Amino acid sequence: MIHLKKDETKAMVAVHGWSGILLGLLLYAVVLTGTAAVFAHEIGAWSAGHVATRSVFEKPVDATIRRLAAQTPAAYHDDVNLWETGDHGLGVFFHRHETGAEGVPTEAGYFYQLDHDGRVLNTTKGTIDDLFGPRNDDALATFLVDTHVRLHVPNPWGLLLTGILGLAMLVAAISGVLIHRHLFKDIFTLRRRASSVLVNRDKHSVAGTWSLPFAFVLAFTGSFFSFYGTIGVPVVAMAAFGGDVEALSEAVYGTPGTPDPRPVPVGNIDRITGDAIARAGGVPTFIAIEKFGRADSVVTSYHDPKAGDVEPVALLYSGASAQFVREKAVVGAQPSTGGTLVGIMGPLHFGNFAGMLSKAIWFGLGFAMCYVTYTGMRLWVVKRRGEARSLAWLERTLSVVGFGLPLGLAVAAAAFLVTMPLGTAVYWTTAAFLIASALAILAGALAPSNAALTKLLKGATGVTMLALPLLRLFVAGGPGWGETVAAGQPVIAALDLAFAIAGLWLVRQSWLTARSAEPLAAPALQAART
Amino acid sequence: MPEAIQAAALPRTRRWARVLLAGPGAIVVTLALLAGMPLWLPGGAAGIDNLAVPLVLAPLIWAALFFHACLDRNLARVALVAGALFVVHGALVASRLTATPAVEAAK
Repeated sequence: MIHLKKDETKAMVAVHGWSGILLGLLLYAVVLTGTAAVFAHEIGAWSAGHVATRSVFEKPVDATIRRLAAQTPAAYHDDVNLWETGDHGLGVFFHRHETGAEGVPTEAGYFYQLDHDGRVLNTTKGTIDDLFGPRNDDALATFLVDTHVRLHVPNPWGLLLTGILGLAMLVAAISGVLIHRHLFKDIFTLRRRASSVLVNRDKHSVAGTWSLPFAFVLAFTGSFFSFYGTIGVPVVAMAAFGGDVEALSEAVYGTPGTPDPRPVPVGNIDRITGDAIARAGGVPTFIAIEKFGRADSVVTSYHDPKAGDVEPVALLYSGASAQFVREKAVVGAQPSTGGTLVGIMGPLHFGNFAGMLSKAIWFGLGFAMCYVTYTGMRLWVVKRRGEARSLAWLERTLSVVGFGLPLGLAVAAAAFLVTMPLGTAVYWTTAAFLIASALAILAGALAPSNAALTKLLKGATGVTMLALPLLRLFVAGGPGWGETVAAGQPVIAALDLAFAIAGLWLVRQSWLTARSAEPLAAPALQAART
Repeated sequence: MPEAIQAAALPRTRRWARVLLAGPGAIVVTLALLAGMPLWLPGGAAGIDNLAVPLVLAPLIWAALFFHACLDRNLARVALVAGALFVVHGALVASRLTATPAVEAAK
């Protein structure tokens, strides 16, 4: 236990409160969308009705790559990236490294999007900045991830903003540990018969204490990702490489070797994918072919961590002979402390190191963090209800964001399901979120009381969630439960069920909200201040 | 009366000094460490530890500086630690940038 002196504890309580109240609303938005984004892949499959379960890398792709190479200008044959896209389709990006506007390094080339059977659905030419935006069939999942990563603020400001929010969460987590005089006792203290304020404070404390380690890990890894490219890499490159970001990238991620530019056809890629799946115990998440069509070409196959491990796997192959060379570190030419540290940041943040189990735990703890963030701000406001300056506007704002944001996300999902068959989902997913948010703000301004506002927003979110499975089945034309289970995609049916249960619970809560909204009695307020 | 005003102003000045050290001060010193640490940390087996470790630790370095500024009663010690870290790492970076041309530094 850490025992601080009285004035130090007082300072930490102030730091804990202000770190939450200043950035808490934005932090709540980032944590809530991040919690949903844990299942972004599954939400993508659910919303677009993806029922293919066999990875594209478990099927022959070699002939397809050679056919695409023949029709792509040789100027863009420097490197080729392969990854899964859409309903287990294939994304192929033939490209070269360029310096874009403002002297920023970029990659330019041809991006081919193929379906599960190898048919080209779409061909686009450009740089990575304009090629990989949201598509009609993944607009919902992309919307969730973009909201979480940068709150839709343009880069680099969006990443800087979410990085600062990560630091605020780090401060709240550490100060939360420091202000707990009885950390282990607080984990189990729930006074059910106390006043509603004390019960809420106990709930906040218990949920916060249990999720403290998780909050620390999420805040640390989240701020690492936000600052890595925006500040960290440029600063380190400036000091160690005279500002040459490409040189830093080559030192950290490159595969050193003797240059040999002789033209040699690339080896059999199917042989590489087959061998990589056998060695890594899973399909590749990404394949990078460097120096395509040269004697010194190398192929790196990236995989999720093996069972029981948190570090991702990377396998190195000779591009010319398709022979396995060695298992390489994900970061750096060989295993190292720094490479391992950078390598485990992703699995720790995304919770994807042990399949559905770790994802479910990350989702649950993320939800607990949303609860802690929201109730923390509520307690801060309740404590100050009796003070001279009224904070009613802040209480109203909390309700608008706390319950309006889930409403906006549910309406965005509904809009996606309605507009995806029309091909306008990219526009309407975002537009519907903004419209729902505007309506929530309007309701916040016009509602006669905070209880009425809460009841309205909870009820609207519940009804929208209840409608989602029906919209997916009958408007978006998605597959039925029998079909999804038979195809080995039970997650679609599971998400339908989850939305229906959450919707029912919210509608019920909406009815209960009005009853439990009596003004707080003076003793209860006094207890909250102590 | 002027003594009373002075006495009241002193804690306020100290509070603002603490806020400056915990806020902008911690950020500036973290940036200096981020730039300076690659120049003295060992590269390790893959030759990248000196680059990767500061990048990973940056949020924790900032948090350590922030909480030190908030909790240490001796404000002069907070300023001394932050100032020493800034001067040492700033000097390392300045000497590297002035002594070696950029292209050579990359090699």
